[in-house]
Amino acid sequence: MSAVAATPRSRHRLGDGVAYWLILPLLALEGLFLAYPILSGIASSFVNPDSGGYDFSNFSTMLADPDFWAIMIRTLVFVLLVDVAVLLTGLGVALLMNRQFRGRGVVRGLLTIPWAVPEVPVAITFIFMIDPTFGVFNLLARMLPGVTENPQWTLDPTLAMAIVVTVTVWKGFPFYSLVLLAALQAVPEELYEAARLDGASAWRQFRHVTLPGIRPSIALLAVLAFIYSMQQFTLIWLITGGGPVDATLTLAPAIYMQAFRFYNFEYAAAMAVVGLLFSVLATLAFISVQRRLALDER
Amino acid sequence: MSSIGLAHPASRTDRTAAVAAILRAALILVVCFVLLFPVYWMVLNAIQPSEYSLSWPPSLLPRGFEWSNFRHLFEDKPIVDWLLKSTFVAAIVVAATLIVVVPAAYALSRLRWRGQNLLGLFLLFTQIMPGAMIVAPELTLFRTFGWTDNLTALAFLHAAFVVPLCTWILKSSFDAVPRELVEAALVDGCSHTAALWRIMLPLTRPGLVAVSVVAFFSSWNEYLFSSALITQSDLYTGSLGLATLITQLDTPLFVLMAAGVMFSVLPVAFYLAIQRHILRGLTAGAVKG
Repeated sequence: MSAVAATPRSRHRLGDGVAYWLILPLLALEGLFLAYPILSGIASSFVNPDSGGYDFSNFSTMLADPDFWAIMIRTLVFVLLVDVAVLLTGLGVALLMNRQFRGRGVVRGLLTIPWAVPEVPVAITFIFMIDPTFGVFNLLARMLPGVTENPQWTLDPTLAMAIVVTVTVWKGFPFYSLVLLAALQAVPEELYEAARLDGASAWRQFRHVTLPGIRPSIALLAVLAFIYSMQQFTLIWLITGGGPVDATLTLAPAIYMQAFRFYNFEYAAAMAVVGLLFSVLATLAFISVQRRLALDER
Repeated sequence: MSSIGLAHPASRTDRTAAVAAILRAALILVVCFVLLFPVYWMVLNAIQPSEYSLSWPPSLLPRGFEWSNFRHLFEDKPIVDWLLKSTFVAAIVVAATLIVVVPAAYALSRLRWRGQNLLGLFLLFTQIMPGAMIVAPELTLFRTFGWTDNLTALAFLHAAFVVPLCTWILKSSFDAVPRELVEAALVDGCSHTAALWRIMLPLTRPGLVAVSVVAFFSSWNEYLFSSALITQSDLYTGSLGLATLITQLDTPLFVLMAAGVMFSVLPVAFYLAIQRHILRGLTAGAVKG
């Protein structure tokens, strides 16, 4: 994990020229298919759709649009809910797996499956599970007091948001629990022994030994979960389409909708610039958390 | 527990430990059941007759099997064709990714050069950036070159998206090769290309396998760009074909679920086999070379 640590200087510095030849294919591919679209997208965010000239009109329209702010708040809610829920689920599963028991390898493998199933089949399965007539989720809902009819999962704004959060968390949790499990196993056993000698209860051991030990990993995973949930498009798009009445329309599907449903390419580009700014922040957060992680290991 | 246990009669400690173990096992079973339920539900509804799936209240246990579901899937829907298209695209992605990533990972792992940190930063950023941010400019680019409805062009785009992650994975596996091995070869007059080909690659086969699997299935699973760039239904890949089944109201439920199962079998099998490698690469996304 100490990936940030600098490689010791190679004595063979004939390197330079060779290095550029070696990265040339990468630069060509990434330049054409990623860097150029990023830049041309930023450029088109400044194009006035009426006059064709360059100005800030898309941004001023966007910032004055209450729908845009609603999208940002919704994205924030979605990201925070997914972030907290996926970390708690991941930690819960990791704690459960952090002890020897028979069949542990099998359980570990099985619990990785949700991560490996592609998004489209996941969406298909959950669409059937929340079907208002036959969906198995209705069984769960009906266990709650006062629920006598099957809920209309995708017609109720709160339920729809709960569903897309649940599906996103379910698809993502195995990764978080595997990383946390590795972190848990790296906490030195002596610390637990010392705590036990001092008569610390299980909770106090968790609070004062386990948590501090895995804090750097949790910080890194919190940033990764932010990135993961910002990227989420397919599950939301296929399950709710951003509805009902935009209730699950986060930034990623909103941009897609502006571009491909309303053909407001320039407006979509302006929204994408906001998304790119968030990605810059996430990149900086990732780097700083990782640096700290590397320092801790030293 | 052991220090406290000494104070008690042994039998009582044993019993507490046994009860704790049983509770623990029960908890693990319940957690597995809840977390794996959607997978179970997909498989169950793919293999049982639809009249059992489409009844209320749904039965949680299988009430009968109907293997002809899969025959219907293969007869009624071009699933084989979709999966072949997915395989075709993913195979190009693997080849393109390896060609790009192997030399780049070597340069990042073994050489020092100006702009190295900048490249690392760019790769990290593209990995973090949500794809939806550039889906419209990407379509414009593809239209300019006449690449829409072109699976090969789509494959190169998929490769561009997976290259950053694969570069980290392979770089970390190159980093693990002892420095002296390569340096000795270089001192003996070996070129960097030869050092890469004859020393690095044979020693990093697991890393190369991991990179290939990641590249293959990132393409196999991709939906957003495929749906934006491929419009002809005879060019549909698995994820596109499956997604259109959702909107075709006449698709029988078991066909939908059986298609989901067919599409998931490969990625699940391969990811389970190499999860440890991917894990290391995902968390070790290095910033500096």
